[in-house]
Amino acid sequence: MFNFLFKKENRVEVLMFEYMDTVKLTQKSFLDAINACVDDNKCENFDFLITQTHKYESRADDICEEINNIMYTKALIPDSRGDIMRLLESIDMIPHFFERVLFIMQTQKLSIPEFLALDVKELIRISLESCDLLFKQLTLHLKQKLGIRALLGTIDTNESHCDHIERRIITKIFDSDLDPFIKIQLKELIVTMGEISDQADRVSKQISILSMKRRV
Amino acid sequence: MLSLLGGVFLGWSLGSNDASNVFGTAISSRMLKFWTAAVLASVFVVAGALVSGQAGIETLKGLTSIRLDQAVISSVAAAVTVTIMTLLGLPVSTSQAVVGAIMGIGILNQQINLGGLGKVVACWVGTPVGALIIAIPLYYVVAAIYNRLNMNLFRADSMLRFGLVAAGSYGAYALGANNVANVTAVFVGAGLITVFLATLIGGISIALGIITYSKPVMETVGKKLVKLDPFSAFIVVLAEAITVHIYTMIGVPVSTSQAVIGAVVGIGIVKGAHTVDKKTLKNILLAWILTPVVACFIALVIDFTYNLHYIPLQ
Repeated sequence: MFNFLFKKENRVEVLMFEYMDTVKLTQKSFLDAINACVDDNKCENFDFLITQTHKYESRADDICEEINNIMYTKALIPDSRGDIMRLLESIDMIPHFFERVLFIMQTQKLSIPEFLALDVKELIRISLESCDLLFKQLTLHLKQKLGIRALLGTIDTNESHCDHIERRIITKIFDSDLDPFIKIQLKELIVTMGEISDQADRVSKQISILSMKRRV
Repeated sequence: MLSLLGGVFLGWSLGSNDASNVFGTAISSRMLKFWTAAVLASVFVVAGALVSGQAGIETLKGLTSIRLDQAVISSVAAAVTVTIMTLLGLPVSTSQAVVGAIMGIGILNQQINLGGLGKVVACWVGTPVGALIIAIPLYYVVAAIYNRLNMNLFRADSMLRFGLVAAGSYGAYALGANNVANVTAVFVGAGLITVFLATLIGGISIALGIITYSKPVMETVGKKLVKLDPFSAFIVVLAEAITVHIYTMIGVPVSTSQAVIGAVVGIGIVKGAHTVDKKTLKNILLAWILTPVVACFIALVIDFTYNLHYIPLQ
């Protein structure tokens, strides 16, 4: 009934969902790029998909900035303002990691060796599953629905799983006959990939705390 | 009519100081623009004074019967006391200063309504205690409703902002209704103006203080309150407004600052946290005792000096 009084708040709400959709597009583009490179060593379309990922990541940044600008012009109470800003900063690290993984592969001309392909695909699959669960969790938080704690548990389990895979891949890299320089490069790439599930876990815990904080 | 200037000055200082108790939180946390808050507070202060301000005026004018010159003296004594207490950094109550000054005049006139005075003093003690008692169940009840509504982040936020504005406006209404007596009751007692004119002039002078000089006080005092979470701040303002409104219905002018402190302590009890430190409580206690005593003393001195006459030697 009083919606007209809270135009800025409504706009922030719309932008939050728009931001989430854009990060999902970044995630899809990232997955396409990784698959293109892991399945086919020639990495056709890779540059195009990197550009696409970068475009979506920039769009997400723009939305983030717009949300912050609206909040700086006195939308929301300061407590919520700070919570949303910190949350956006944390979520924004995820598309940043997508982009970083792709840039490492592009700029250092790295391709995934065949003996690592399955493990890397598994690592990416579980990390992106965590991201999907995270978006579900964020939607539940924004709509004040139940189920946030359950998703937190699954994301946490996924993160532990990803850590195991990450260690397994790094061990395989250093057990292989690859050039030591390539080994270091691949290790950096895998560690950056592992950051995706770590960050999803961190954001998930942050959302869980925020949702508890909202109850008085 | 020039005699009324002392009262207008007192009303102005009251408005500039006490508006922070109702809208300080919303302003310092930038939830509301100063001008929006100032206009809302002014409108509701005048409305409160006009609609419910008579009872307090009846109580104060009944404390002692005074002449017009003594009415001016008591206003000036109260204003000087408020200024001294503010300079000393003590939480000042205009109501206590005015009653203390009226008592000073009453002592000189050898005419004090002890029954009325007892009622007023009992209410002074009862203000923070009452606000504390109101704040605790109010917190639980409103929190239960708030949690049950299960609003999303944005709706809950909007609701809280709306609640703070509504509670602030109600607080301003209670402030005008309760404190207008401090400003102009003595002039009604002295027979200079009618009760209606007293509520109108008093309300407008408080509103003038809010519009012209409350911004710095709101920004400073509000920051102390904003340490509370927004929901608790809303409960504090609401509990303060309800407390002051109850005293308005009884017809006793009380201090909004003391009501706020009581409500903040109440929230501290609910949340198991120390919201007010011992030093603040010591200062409040000191101000409780000092304000009426100093005002009484200043009124006595001014009245005595004013009535000194040169009697030539025969």
